[in-house]
Amino acid sequence: MGRRVTLAALVISAVAPLMLLGLWSVGDRWFFPALIPPTFTTDSWRAMLTGQLGAAAVVSGVVALATAVLSCALAMPIGHAVARLSGWRRHMASALAFLPVAAPPIALGLGLQYTFVALDVSGTIVGVIAAHVVPATGFLAIYFSGVFTALDPRIEDEARSLGATPIQVWTRITIPIVRRHIGDALALGFLVSWAQVPLTLVIGGGIVRTLPLAVYDYLRAGETRYAATGALLLTVPPILALLAARRERVAPL
Amino acid sequence: MEPALLVQGLAVPFGSGPGLREVTFDVAAGERFVVLGASGAGKTSLLRALAGLSPVTDGTIAVAGPAIYLHQTPVLFPHLTVYENVAFPLRIRGRPQAEIDGRVRAALASVHMGGFAPRMPRTLSGGQTHRVALARAVVARPALLLLDEPLASLDPTLREDMRRTILGLQADWDGAMVIVTHDLDEMSALADRVAVLLDRRIAQIASPAELLSRPASLAVARFLGHMNEMRVSGDAVAVFPPTAVRPQANGFHARVSGLRVRVRGTTAVLAVEGAEIEMSVDPFQPPEIGDELTVGLDPRGVVTFRDAQNVETPSVPISSTRIVS
Repeated sequence: MGRRVTLAALVISAVAPLMLLGLWSVGDRWFFPALIPPTFTTDSWRAMLTGQLGAAAVVSGVVALATAVLSCALAMPIGHAVARLSGWRRHMASALAFLPVAAPPIALGLGLQYTFVALDVSGTIVGVIAAHVVPATGFLAIYFSGVFTALDPRIEDEARSLGATPIQVWTRITIPIVRRHIGDALALGFLVSWAQVPLTLVIGGGIVRTLPLAVYDYLRAGETRYAATGALLLTVPPILALLAARRERVAPL
Repeated sequence: MEPALLVQGLAVPFGSGPGLREVTFDVAAGERFVVLGASGAGKTSLLRALAGLSPVTDGTIAVAGPAIYLHQTPVLFPHLTVYENVAFPLRIRGRPQAEIDGRVRAALASVHMGGFAPRMPRTLSGGQTHRVALARAVVARPALLLLDEPLASLDPTLREDMRRTILGLQADWDGAMVIVTHDLDEMSALADRVAVLLDRRIAQIASPAELLSRPASLAVARFLGHMNEMRVSGDAVAVFPPTAVRPQANGFHARVSGLRVRVRGTTAVLAVEGAEIEMSVDPFQPPEIGDELTVGLDPRGVVTFRDAQNVETPSVPISSTRIVS
């Protein structure tokens, strides 16, 4: 009985906010104390396809995709190097790799801002991607250090001993063996960027308008319907990632 | 003829100590060279250094061609089939598919794994994994194969099987092997020559028969084990195997104080003038505990050392010398 109540509470706490967002996204002139919207409209959903909301979603998607690929490419060798260390060296390297994640994003953003202004990439998509790559690489480096710790180092030793070059070891042995983890890492990198606000604000300077920023803007302007539609869209990639992770767990090896 | 491997003055760091020093030896093409040493003596570090997988601090290593190192518990690439595992050294060298196919099938047949080509490594037993790893190691015909305790992780029945497989490999591959082990049986079954690694140096290089019959120092003799050791006249120490102790009418008086039954033979423990030595006995008709015997030594099996160095081999039965114990 207690278990059922707990499960019901879990479902309600997970689904109810999404259902409310769904109602908000289509509710028109919906004010307290009305329990449901008096009228419905799909204008915010149409805006997603053609208007600013859609444009912000595309920018977010491009930034998150590029962040995922770049941070994955950087984090893999870093995680591999950390995994092959031991003792205090490993502890120090792990701490260094995790520093961009532990640092408050606003502090990180300000630190990066000076450099990016000098490089003339502040306020550009390239600058925002570069900024997102910093914490995403930290997350993924820690993730990959765990993956490579579990990978028997003798496998790579064996390949080297058989005459494989370092690139052949990576391309023919290491990457194929951890390919499923690379998929997870890409999803994680995508999500780190997808939900990123402070770094986008500081580096993008309001010029680069991603979906989370658009949601903030709509909220501040009192455009609740548009904000709710954007917020619903923001939940789609995490839900897809969770479903994919679940499917992977039950899939046969 | 140029050696397959020439090692001169090698220094290999390992552990927290100074590491191996002044390691010098050569291995001829087609030769099986065994490095014998206790656990922790630095055998694996030496082998990894020869393979280029561990650093060296001094000396030179000259190999006549590619050297391949095989772990004590070899690992196959888990994402590749048995066929693709064995094909790996050829694929990374860009060999044509027809050549790869022929050589992979021949290598698998040489280790009796011909029917396992499409299998994945996780479906193989430990012994089968060993054999596939061996096939993969020799398929590219390396000049030198470095085997780290190749039989240590196998149970006794698989050990004999693998021993035959290793010996059979050189039937159609003329490369040299360096094998490290701490096991005397493994050494004597596989070695053409043996280097004994003691106190971070090579203490002796000899054929197995020469090593067992003429250890170069008391330390080597002690490492080889199963040796009787007795202090004789002066500072000299006589070392001899249980097989050198024989019943002898005018020898020492001895009393049987125990029996030791081992796979390699049964021995009687004899109390002789306050000392204890072992004598090989007929396992089907061993003496009784408490039996009184007179025994002597076959001088061909006795080596004496003074100051831990081999100084002489007695030409007279040791029964004519005074046992100090």
